[in-house]
Amino acid sequence: MTSQKHIAILGAGPGGYVAAIRAAQLGASVTVIESHALGGVCLNWGCIPSKALLSVVELGDKVKKAEDRGLLVPGPVTYDLARMVARKNKVVATLVQGIATLFKAWNIEYVQGTGTLRDRQTVTVTRADGAPRDVQADAIVIATGSSWPNLPQFPIDGQQLLTSQQLLDLERIPASLLIVGAGVEGCEFAALYSGMGTEVTIVELMARVLPLEDEEISLMMERELKKRGVTVMTGTTVERLERSPTTITAHLKDGAQVTAEKLLVSVGRGLNSSGIGLEHVGVQTGRRGEILVNERMETTVPGIYAIGDVVGKAMLAHVASAQGKVAVENIMGHQATVRYDVIPAGIFTLPEIGRVGVTEQQAREGVQAAGQDPDIALKVGRFRYAGLGKGQATGDTTGLFKVIAESASGRILGVHIVGAHAADLVHEAAMAMQVGATVTQMAEMIHAHPTLAEGLMEAAEDVEGKAIHQARKRTQ
Amino acid sequence: MIPKDLRYHQEHEWVRVSGTQATVGISHFAQDALGDIVFIDMPKPGAIVKAGQQIGEVESTKTTSTIYTPVSGTIAKVNADLKDHPEVVNSDPYGKGWMVMIDMSNPSDVDKLMTAAQYEAFLAGQKH
Repeated sequence: MTSQKHIAILGAGPGGYVAAIRAAQLGASVTVIESHALGGVCLNWGCIPSKALLSVVELGDKVKKAEDRGLLVPGPVTYDLARMVARKNKVVATLVQGIATLFKAWNIEYVQGTGTLRDRQTVTVTRADGAPRDVQADAIVIATGSSWPNLPQFPIDGQQLLTSQQLLDLERIPASLLIVGAGVEGCEFAALYSGMGTEVTIVELMARVLPLEDEEISLMMERELKKRGVTVMTGTTVERLERSPTTITAHLKDGAQVTAEKLLVSVGRGLNSSGIGLEHVGVQTGRRGEILVNERMETTVPGIYAIGDVVGKAMLAHVASAQGKVAVENIMGHQATVRYDVIPAGIFTLPEIGRVGVTEQQAREGVQAAGQDPDIALKVGRFRYAGLGKGQATGDTTGLFKVIAESASGRILGVHIVGAHAADLVHEAAMAMQVGATVTQMAEMIHAHPTLAEGLMEAAEDVEGKAIHQARKRTQ
Repeated sequence: MIPKDLRYHQEHEWVRVSGTQATVGISHFAQDALGDIVFIDMPKPGAIVKAGQQIGEVESTKTTSTIYTPVSGTIAKVNADLKDHPEVVNSDPYGKGWMVMIDMSNPSDVDKLMTAAQYEAFLAGQKH
């Protein structure tokens, strides 16, 4: 066993812990160093806890409509946030324990403490009790992730000005909440708190909510937020904050004022690339502090790899996991690269969003740059949830499937879904794109009835104007 | 179901005129075509609108449809009751289901709209 490779992994988030298990599967001896908790932000303070809470509000939304469908629930829907948080903590604890169990099963050593690169083959770990320890390795994977915003204009105090991490542990529902930033996180929290009766205002500097999403999807989400009673203010920003002991008033650039009990800062995530000793070994970083890596996830220093948020590519848990697998495959002598053109992603607003590939705007810019007329080179198919038998049966009538394809080849460039189970549904499209299936092939595949998945078939058919159940329009 | 005292737009909005103020809603035909209405997105009071412009959206369990303003002017009032009870547009499209009141900047816009008789003929023509 003297030839066994030893890999040290800095960080046990969805990048680091997945890399550790894959490395062990490939025969490496692995040490993982983590300063906070197994599972990282995703599992402890991000994806999982927010979904645990959102699932309760989704249920509450349904119960509010129960009587219309013939289910009689005595009394109004009320939320016990303290119990919701306790359940959320239990879900997180179960999953964290799951990672610990996997680590044991694969003989992965887990060291709690803060790791710093000392040289190309040594990580110095400062443990909670202050005792340093050196971990020797043949290769090092940096998976230190990103952290909550720390902007001078929004001094986080954990009482009035909160990060999403702090908002997840609030045990009393605030009367009002101002959310700065209508990105993925901002919109998810707007959906969550509006559902529990908080008066929510969301402020976004860009012209629309979810500015990185397809424009049509953004506009639908804006309407969905309004439907939930959220006040949406776009194209403006907070200029100045005024505090009182019980409230915080934001003065906006456009002259408007918003007063709320709490303020969620949902802008400006920082990359965790400083304070980990990169300078000791000469690992280079870019303008935003992102660690520079090649397509094999290796940094500018041979033998040192970096993955996840800290490399600043797609800041998604599942991309970090994919990068982690690629990094250790390469360390273990296999050739692997990450494919960035097919990355499905979910936004867990109410209703959800699922997306893969480019937006219509990006597709149009792409063909224009190639000297083509986008109106000819591209075709877009749409289908509404309202046209689905399953959607009508379950009451999930709000939503849209949108398929963007290349006219000549039928190649699928992007698929965007808003509506119930959108983040799950988008994977069929992602698979089609991954294997290079055309939009016609997707349309021709038999889809089970009655399912929401039929919507993707109909949208693919609509690319050629052949959707069977296209909803009736008021004027045409 | 086509009140005689109103004027109608080809996108199925109706207008009730009182001096220089116009109350706007959607017709019985429109609400019937839409089916169960679940949400109405309306403009903010104070917004300046131009005849023929999109001012909001109606979402039903079947589809989403645009609301156009048949007249130009300033939004004076929106029907706040529709926020929680959009279904009122289904049950009382010409009464409690009104959507916005507009202070008209050009009251002669109304003259370009259909009378009840013209709207009735227009609907008959649409039914192939």
